Amino acid sequence: MAQTNPPFMSGVPELLLLRLLDQREMYGYELVRSIKSATGEAISLGEGVIYPVLHSLERNGSLKSRRKPVGGRTRVYYSLTSKGRKRLNKLQDDWQRVQSGISTALEEGFAAS
Amino acid sequence: MQEPNFKAFQKDLRRAGIAPRHIKRATVELREHYEDVVAAGRHQGLDAAAARAFANEQFGSLDSVVEAMRAQPELAVWSRRFPRLAMVAYPLACLALIPAVPVFAGVTHASFLARWATCLFVGGLVTALMFLALQLALLFG
Repeated sequence: MAQTNPPFMSGVPELLLLRLLDQREMYGYELVRSIKSATGEAISLGEGVIYPVLHSLERNGSLKSRRKPVGGRTRVYYSLTSKGRKRLNKLQDDWQRVQSGISTALEEGFAAS
Repeated sequence: MQEPNFKAFQKDLRRAGIAPRHIKRATVELREHYEDVVAAGRHQGLDAAAARAFANEQFGSLDSVVEAMRAQPELAVWSRRFPRLAMVAYPLACLALIPAVPVFAGVTHASFLARWATCLFVGGLVTALMFLALQLALLFG
């Protein structure tokens, strides 16, 4: 599977998945498409690469899953738990702090030491 | 680009020490995902063969999924997550249980079985300590 995002994107898939699942339950394919459209195609996760993240988030109690038969096929839907919501709030705060720090540095430059 | 080989994918995950339930579910999800990508290709007006080729191109190799799952230690089987427990405590607990089994099995000859079990337990314990020493030497040596 092709590497679709640079290495500094570490942690971003988790944040985006939690944010999307905060709105409603979704399955893997739906999540990949939603991330693509919600970020204006700036972030494109490789097909299938989200599953290890989803499984891991479920394992630590941030998500729960259920199988749902849809049109003769089995979909695994994920939804956010209360623990996941707390994790999302923390990640959002962390991300906003980092984003604001980087923006400041880019706008004002680095003072010569 | 070839169609994803889910059998090889499962084999690679087993080799990477991923827990069977995660292997099973990841395979189901990826198969469904692949079919969704094929359906998206058809929806764009491609014929069946072109839609599969499009999905194969989008999907690529499953090696990166194997690597991503390997990088999540919580998805591994318990013996990989707790190797010391699996290599030291678990075999010791099993050895300790062996002599207790006949005592629980024969209530009427409990005293005879208890003596026999004690001998077996001591023998087992000596063997276990030898194995423990070997394991510790491997772990910390």
